[in-house]
Amino acid sequence: MATKPLTTEQKQALALFRKRLGGVSKEKHERLKHQVTLRKAIRDFLARQPATIPEIASALARPADEVLWQVMGMKKYGRVREAGDSGWYARYGLIERETEAAAGEV
Amino acid sequence: MIALKTLNRRTDALVVGGGIAGLQAALDLADQGFKALIVERQPSIGGHMIALSKVFPTLDCASCITTPKMSAAVHHPKIELLVNTEVQSLESTGAGQRATVTRQPTYVDNDKCIGCRLCEYACEVEYPDPFEQGLGALRAIAIPFANAIPQVAVLNPAYCTTCGLCARACPTGAIDYTQEAVTFTIDAGAVILATGFSLNSLNLKPQFHAAQSRNIISPLTMERLLAPHAPYGRVLRPSDGKIPQSIAFIHCAGSRDQTLGVPYCSRVCCMYFIKQAMLLSGALPLADLTLYYIDIRAFGKGYEQFYQNARAMGINFVRGKVLRIEPLADGDLLVHVEATEAAEHCYRKVRHDLVVLAQGMVPPSGGPALVPVRRATDGFFDLPEATDPSGTNLPGVFAAGTAAGPKDIVDTITDAGAAAMAAGRYLQRRRRENSAPVGEAGTRRRVHLEPTMDAVGAN
Repeated sequence: MATKPLTTEQKQALALFRKRLGGVSKEKHERLKHQVTLRKAIRDFLARQPATIPEIASALARPADEVLWQVMGMKKYGRVREAGDSGWYARYGLIERETEAAAGEV
Repeated sequence: MIALKTLNRRTDALVVGGGIAGLQAALDLADQGFKALIVERQPSIGGHMIALSKVFPTLDCASCITTPKMSAAVHHPKIELLVNTEVQSLESTGAGQRATVTRQPTYVDNDKCIGCRLCEYACEVEYPDPFEQGLGALRAIAIPFANAIPQVAVLNPAYCTTCGLCARACPTGAIDYTQEAVTFTIDAGAVILATGFSLNSLNLKPQFHAAQSRNIISPLTMERLLAPHAPYGRVLRPSDGKIPQSIAFIHCAGSRDQTLGVPYCSRVCCMYFIKQAMLLSGALPLADLTLYYIDIRAFGKGYEQFYQNARAMGINFVRGKVLRIEPLADGDLLVHVEATEAAEHCYRKVRHDLVVLAQGMVPPSGGPALVPVRRATDGFFDLPEATDPSGTNLPGVFAAGTAAGPKDIVDTITDAGAAAMAAGRYLQRRRRENSAPVGEAGTRRRVHLEPTMDAVGAN
């Protein structure tokens, strides 16, 4: 995705915005860090083979509802796709470019 | 759509609420030649209806009905739209009504944003999407939902980490971190209150244990699960993604109950449960669908036939009262019910994968509470005259749709048309009075009812 550096004016506006928000709270940082960590773990797990939500949750020792929400976020933004059913559960696999990226990270 | 160039405004009719009632009322007024200004507190118009899957009894796509009205309103030359704006107070000025409103910042310049979503794709922070009832994820800067109008991004400061990636990705320089909330006034000849409804809490009945299970859901959550662009892409239960094979619908779970403070009937629950069960029988052909009801109220045109069709499709209707819901360790739910259809009442325990509770329709909280219009005992706006079904106790202030009490979409649209007609008649009468000489000196009363929306100055 093409991005451009922020102008001096934009940097000043962003600093002012950050100040108005009272800084970026520790809670926001922790939430983002958790999301990034958990999604990397999900990507690494799915890079091996498609899996159901309970399988991912069990492997990562995370609650299934939380894993479902994260996987649906990844699906919405084009990182995960459905890969058939397994019993009463849908299986999810990485979209190809994500498989390559996850393989590169390992 | 007229851009937000200046702040204080003057209009013929102020429509509070951009749901289906507000849109219909504004369109009907605008088509009569009056200028209408819609104030909507959400970032998009469309209200509850744009989030529904289909409508009963025709099973037409809700979005296919709502989107053209949203589009017609936003492109109408006589309609102005203010989103992210909430009415703080309303007062009579003698010449009309003056509303004080506050517009919340979106941190995006609507005139520059082209809806390309590059900011959304650049953002890394996701949070539970309110439009999807928390089932899906939305980024900290995003277009609120696929068919939102206006189609512009909104930044949520509660989740933004101020990384600046959105500003770096935006090709038009639309990100504006300097925006602040602004308060201004709107002078209007007439006001239509189309403030809609809320649903009461899932947790009102502790014996249902809704707080302990992700699989006890609201009817609006089921609507999102059934929507064409559903958050999961199919019907799954929220606790673990299982494809549900047994779904229960519990009627009157938040209404017709004195102990909840909602003694009245919410009027739409019977029909939307039948509709949801019919849609689920198509989406999950093998699923067992059971509706636990006290009585079925199918009062509208074609509703009784709709109900009979659902019975003929094999959907289970169990007359009785659900006593409690017991969450089980595997996420399933054990529904304890006293069935009353048999000659002798019998107590049953039935296991389900997913339970939907019919919450009661209640007045919305927030801004409209400050509007000095009298409320009825149910908390909705009081309409004192039987012969004036839209008129409130304040002259020139009308109520439309579910702002005056629970009703279905058909009745809401009819009601909005009636409110627009009543407001139009009121404006015409005031215009005639304004043009007639008053008093011996022949002076005319100054009322700003001429169809103008010229700004009267910035704050």
